[in-house]
Amino acid sequence: MAFVAEHDVPIPYMQRTRDYYQALGFPAYRWAHFAEVPFTPLVKPLAEARVALITTAAPYQPGVGDQGPGAKYNAAAKFYKVYSDTTESLPDLRISHVGYDRKHTTADDPRTWFPLARLHACVKAGRIGALTPRFHGAPTNRSQRVTLETDAPELLRRCRDDGADVAVLVPS
Amino acid sequence: MSLVARHLEADGLPTVIMGCAKDIVEHCGVPRFLFSDFPLGNSAGRPHDPDSQALTLELALRVLESAPAARTTVQSPLRWSDDAAWKLDFNNLAKLTPEDIAERRREFESVKATIKDMPGRK
Repeated sequence: MAFVAEHDVPIPYMQRTRDYYQALGFPAYRWAHFAEVPFTPLVKPLAEARVALITTAAPYQPGVGDQGPGAKYNAAAKFYKVYSDTTESLPDLRISHVGYDRKHTTADDPRTWFPLARLHACVKAGRIGALTPRFHGAPTNRSQRVTLETDAPELLRRCRDDGADVAVLVPS
Repeated sequence: MSLVARHLEADGLPTVIMGCAKDIVEHCGVPRFLFSDFPLGNSAGRPHDPDSQALTLELALRVLESAPAARTTVQSPLRWSDDAAWKLDFNNLAKLTPEDIAERRREFESVKATIKDMPGRK
């Protein structure tokens, strides 16, 4: 097997972002960082488990500007409270409110950030037991305090209310 | 999203994150992580490629059911492109002119102003 290029590694986003915002003249962001990581083993096989889906994608909002494929970063399309919607139908979710790679992805296929249809296929195939009746939206808030004190507890409560056994989280 | 995964897991709800930002997720520390070495925005597979999307979810489910301990990362074997040049582009100062940087500074100021004025913001 041939060696690949030196730069062919996962992108060092933290370093890139630090350098980038410093050059733009903005203060450095401090990412969350912990020594301890919680871990809960599965108590039942996935074929019997009810799966919750959590996304950072935003529901399309008419009137707040371009949210379509390739739209510029659209801060007006952000949301600040946890939301939930049915898993019975496919919602219109967009990612114009986050810093995805606008040069190398077209953002014209929602299945690349929201695998609800695939999860339904997994239920049908018996790979997972069921989906919870709702999926949940997690705000992409730059306030870690709000995420920790408000949004994460709310998402947990909604997953519990729905009888979730496990959760699949898909940041966009 | 890493903070949310940790919160759910600490309360006894097993989680898996599907994502593309390896260093950020691992820096936080999460229970289980299926990493796709794809541009940000493609955590669940390649656009218009159902096989890629199916494999990505299946790998995430396998990570969910088989991770032996916290901080388990599995990297999807899928490649975005044979040429890794795309990895040099994202927010890379070395590729930006002073004019680009000035333009992006203006854009960022505008974003900050928009966010500050939003009614839903806490």
